[in-house]
Amino acid sequence: MYMIEVKNVTKTYGKKDSHFTALDNVSFSIPEGSTVAIIGKSGSGKSTLMHIMSGLDHPNEGQIVIAKKVLHELKGKAMDTFRATEMSFIFQSFFVEANQTCYQNVSLPLEIAELKNRKTKVVEALTAVDLADKIHAKASELSGGQKQRLAIARAIVNKPRLIFADEPTGNLDSVTGDKIIDLLFKLNKTNKNTLILVTHDDELAEKCQIRITLKDGKIIDFKDKKKGAK
Amino acid sequence: MRIIDITRRSARNLKQAKARTLLTALAIGVGAFALTLTLAASNGAQSFVNQVISDNFDPSEIIVAKDESILGRGDTNKPKEYDESFGSAAVNSGASVQIKQLTDKDVEKIRKYPGVEQVREGVTLNLQYITRPGAKKYVANAIDFSPAQNPEVVAGAIVKPLSDMTVLLPEAYVSSLGFKNPQDAIGKNITLAVRKSIDIAKFLQDGVPTDSAGVQDLAKSSSVEQQFKIAAVLKKPTTSQPGTELYLFISNKDAKILNDIATTGTTQYRKYTYAYARVKNGDNKANIAAVQAKLKSDGYISQSVEETQKFLTQIIDVLKGIVAAFGFIAVIASVFGVVNTMYISVLQRTREIGLMKALGTRRKDISRLFRFEAAWIGFLGGAIGSLAAFLLGTGLNPWITKKLDLGTQKLLIFDVTQIAILIVLLVLVAIFAGLLPARKAAKLDPIEALRTE
Repeated sequence: MYMIEVKNVTKTYGKKDSHFTALDNVSFSIPEGSTVAIIGKSGSGKSTLMHIMSGLDHPNEGQIVIAKKVLHELKGKAMDTFRATEMSFIFQSFFVEANQTCYQNVSLPLEIAELKNRKTKVVEALTAVDLADKIHAKASELSGGQKQRLAIARAIVNKPRLIFADEPTGNLDSVTGDKIIDLLFKLNKTNKNTLILVTHDDELAEKCQIRITLKDGKIIDFKDKKKGAK
Repeated sequence: MRIIDITRRSARNLKQAKARTLLTALAIGVGAFALTLTLAASNGAQSFVNQVISDNFDPSEIIVAKDESILGRGDTNKPKEYDESFGSAAVNSGASVQIKQLTDKDVEKIRKYPGVEQVREGVTLNLQYITRPGAKKYVANAIDFSPAQNPEVVAGAIVKPLSDMTVLLPEAYVSSLGFKNPQDAIGKNITLAVRKSIDIAKFLQDGVPTDSAGVQDLAKSSSVEQQFKIAAVLKKPTTSQPGTELYLFISNKDAKILNDIATTGTTQYRKYTYAYARVKNGDNKANIAAVQAKLKSDGYISQSVEETQKFLTQIIDVLKGIVAAFGFIAVIASVFGVVNTMYISVLQRTREIGLMKALGTRRKDISRLFRFEAAWIGFLGGAIGSLAAFLLGTGLNPWITKKLDLGTQKLLIFDVTQIAILIVLLVLVAIFAGLLPARKAAKLDPIEALRTE
């Protein structure tokens, strides 16, 4: 049973004369609950792959199947609901709202998904990232590492099965970055979600169960620690 | 997202840009201020007109006249054809005017209309003077008292219909005529005098004079004095028809007798500029309309109380329109402010919008978020503007009333329902202004938005 199947995905930008292939016939599968690193240099297509896997972008060819659903066949409301309940994001620049309190930041996905018992869920998520005491503090008062932890709390609050993290340690020093990564892996174990990391950090990628290396829109290496090299 | 969450988030967004929000709202507030005051002033004026009408007119009575120029009709710019029946043109303030008047025949004719209950001749009596023993003589006018009138009484009481040989005296005459106070005047007699135009008795006895001395002798006026008992003293009216403030009121019968004495032998004898026809079951507008139609077909001019009211309200409506137009211009100008502010807001929150969309927020919810934000601005502006107008107006009302001598009337009357409707309309205008920015926000591509550093 695979959580995500990427089937023959091709993505091109631009018109015929000057067209650029970001992803070229990419296919792979990820089992549920695994940690995945997509690595590659900038321009290798890793961000495009993440956008397509999360449904933010559309492939020109091929399809993404998540939990047996063909992602891009979902229309409008179904797609939004799917994204609101099944997945979440962590970004390099945190994207927390500085003027809002930690509570308000974390409750956003709950509001979007129209979920109940917000208070309990927010406290639970903030406790998981060790920010429970900052619940009414404004995000602007937090340090960089705390902001990313806040972003993680926001990402886990609605218990998604799939978390995308785009260079989550890119704006942090190595000590803080390591703590964030440890936290993400710990949460992956307790919550049994699938974690997909987009990074150019080999060291970080080493820690993941599956390592997908992209170059010029093609997979040049796919390693699964559980199965060995493929 | 649920509406309540969107509302809360949009309010929070506004709070994060307090100065910008407040300034944009103030622009709407200026319009709201002007419109609130306009509404209040027109309410006040309307109430004043209504008071004038109810204090002076019987809604079942129609004013009837024969001349086009009366009641504000007819073209005063066109030369008027000479009418033989006048004998000679009467001279009024040095200008030659001819006004076709109603005669006894007309009054009798109208009295026979099936829908008419009663016809009262409008008699405005030019008294020669008013006096009493020991007091000077004063110029005065007297008119017949309509039972529809409700003048405010300082002393005494008004009996309706007014008893013959009694008079209602304006307060201003009390001290002039040597009374200590209004109460002192009640029940006392005063003398009203009219000038006889020619000595009828002498004319009947001697016939047409043959020399100029005889003509002068005949025309030598003699005064006829009549004693009237003061029934009531009237307070200086705030809601009378302008120009009638110092009029004395006597009964219709007395007015007619004195008028006959004053006009016998002149072209004005038994001529009335107005008559008042009381319509049977006049509370039904159809009955009034029927009588008016009949009057029109018989060549008379008529005006119902409703029409009088409309006529008086006309000028108010024009003024109201002008101020309201300025208010609307202010509102329209503020719309651009809202559009601008909302575009800035969308721009500033590009990343947040991108994140919300990535997390599965529906496009319509993003759009709503900004429309609600605009709505809040509209609400704030409306509330600030109308509250300022209310406070200022309420504060100034006593002073204005005193300055304009309005008595118990207020110039500015604030109506909470009207203000609420105004605020709702401003909220809708603000939402309209927020439509384009909201659309821009809803259409943002989350990938692009999240790339913004």
